[in-house]
Amino acid sequence: MAPILSARHVTKTFAAEAGRTLTAIHDLSLDVVEGEFLCLLGASGCGKSTMLSLFAGFMQPNAGQVMLRGQPITRIEPRCGMVFQSYALFPWKTVRANVEFGLKMQRVGRTERHATAQRFIDLVKLSGFEDRYPTELSGGMQQRVTLARILAANPEVLLMDEPFAALDAMTRQVMQEELLRIHDANHKTTVFITHSIDEALILSDRIVVMSARPGRIKAILPNPLPAPRHVSVQLSPEYAALKAQVWQLVESEVLAHDETYRSKQ
Amino acid sequence: MADALNMSEAVLPAADSPRPRRSWRFRHLLLALNVAAVAVALLLWWAATRFGWVAPVFLPAPGDVLHAARITLASGDLLTDIAVSARRVFLGFALAAIVAVPLGIVMGVWRPAKAVMDPFVSLLRPLPSITWIPLSILWLGIGESQKIAIVFMGSWIYILLYTYESTRRIDPLLLRAARNLGASDLAIMWEVILPGSLPGIITGLKVTLAISWSCVLSAEMIAAQNGLGALIWQAKDWGNMPLVLVGMLCISLTVLVADWLMLRIERALLPWERGRRG
Repeated sequence: MAPILSARHVTKTFAAEAGRTLTAIHDLSLDVVEGEFLCLLGASGCGKSTMLSLFAGFMQPNAGQVMLRGQPITRIEPRCGMVFQSYALFPWKTVRANVEFGLKMQRVGRTERHATAQRFIDLVKLSGFEDRYPTELSGGMQQRVTLARILAANPEVLLMDEPFAALDAMTRQVMQEELLRIHDANHKTTVFITHSIDEALILSDRIVVMSARPGRIKAILPNPLPAPRHVSVQLSPEYAALKAQVWQLVESEVLAHDETYRSKQ
Repeated sequence: MADALNMSEAVLPAADSPRPRRSWRFRHLLLALNVAAVAVALLLWWAATRFGWVAPVFLPAPGDVLHAARITLASGDLLTDIAVSARRVFLGFALAAIVAVPLGIVMGVWRPAKAVMDPFVSLLRPLPSITWIPLSILWLGIGESQKIAIVFMGSWIYILLYTYESTRRIDPLLLRAARNLGASDLAIMWEVILPGSLPGIITGLKVTLAISWSCVLSAEMIAAQNGLGALIWQAKDWGNMPLVLVGMLCISLTVLVADWLMLRIERALLPWERGRRG
């Protein structure tokens, strides 16, 4: 089956201080299969957020190609819906108006817009908060609005940039379970970035472990943990074994990152 | 399990909920201090004139000021002057807003427009509005349009700069998010840039309204038959210091009322900001 989203020999560099360039991603190739939940796992500075920005079309690679269904992504691509870590909700719009935004941009009529938005507000369990403004909600609730907003717009791919990183541990777990529940229901292709091994193990069908400076793929692991998953899966021996395996892959990267950081000081 | 955790989330978000309001008693204490401060100042004023610490030529007694206020109020002159000044401010200010807000937005979203406007803004901004009085009299005479022009010239650049700045301060992440949700250029303008810069624009309008008032007063002091500025200037010529103080007091009160009106408008236009100010 042809991949829905793919990167072909992608390299992305940024201008750094003193005229030097920083290679965020070097010659990376990756295929995302339709319907899968893919986690990009890596330490900070491994280029995973850059990769997601390339998929969203926020920036262009210096070399190589990023493609959606075989077509190069050359501008901001609404078919690849992004969930931002810092929510990016419109503060002047109510929860309902935020969730309706994508539909409004697609020129969906008012009644249908209303009904669809309500369905997704209910899905993320925010019924009763439709007329609140984002600043009146907690962080977890704001992230649910973001999720509902992107789901209502119905993109072909969901890109999630450490969406739960700013949440407290308990809220985070709830959000992970809800995301799994939603994914089990709609099987929307999802690329999810995280630096948490536990989060990757709970959520993903496949884990892409990235190496740092420059960002490359270190390993791609299928996640054999049985679905539907639940937090209690963390108590199983398979989980522990898998976590140890991933940690071995990641550990050397974190140390290498620390090393380069130290040598810069 | 998910539901149990859900409940805990509903209970827990105390971490980012707004600060508790100050207690009822404390707020009343502050209000009492407000009143007491004014009372003490009035008392000192009264004592200074009553016991001859200051000569009446330099500072008229509170009773005299009250008396002067009663006379001008009774004759209807005071209210006419207030109305005349307010009308000039309103027209000049509204005209400035109508020109400067759209221009500021265009400058914010389209660099060439800023490049065209920049030299004029740099040249005109340092000029106090009074410096326009000679030219404006030459062009417009000393009628209403000249006063309105002075208010306009003193106000529009501030509105322009505030508007421009607030379009630049919109979080680029929101623009990205809007594009990612399929927004066109026009939709970005209406749905993101305009509402996103509105709080800054309204702050600019509030600040500028006070400036507009000082413009009209200086214009009226130099060449006008009526208005609060003319009232003060004529009272000075007649040596009627109590009336000067009445005029000054009226200016304060009128500007306070105008500020209050702007605050009501702000509340109505920016419902999402209410939660933040508490």
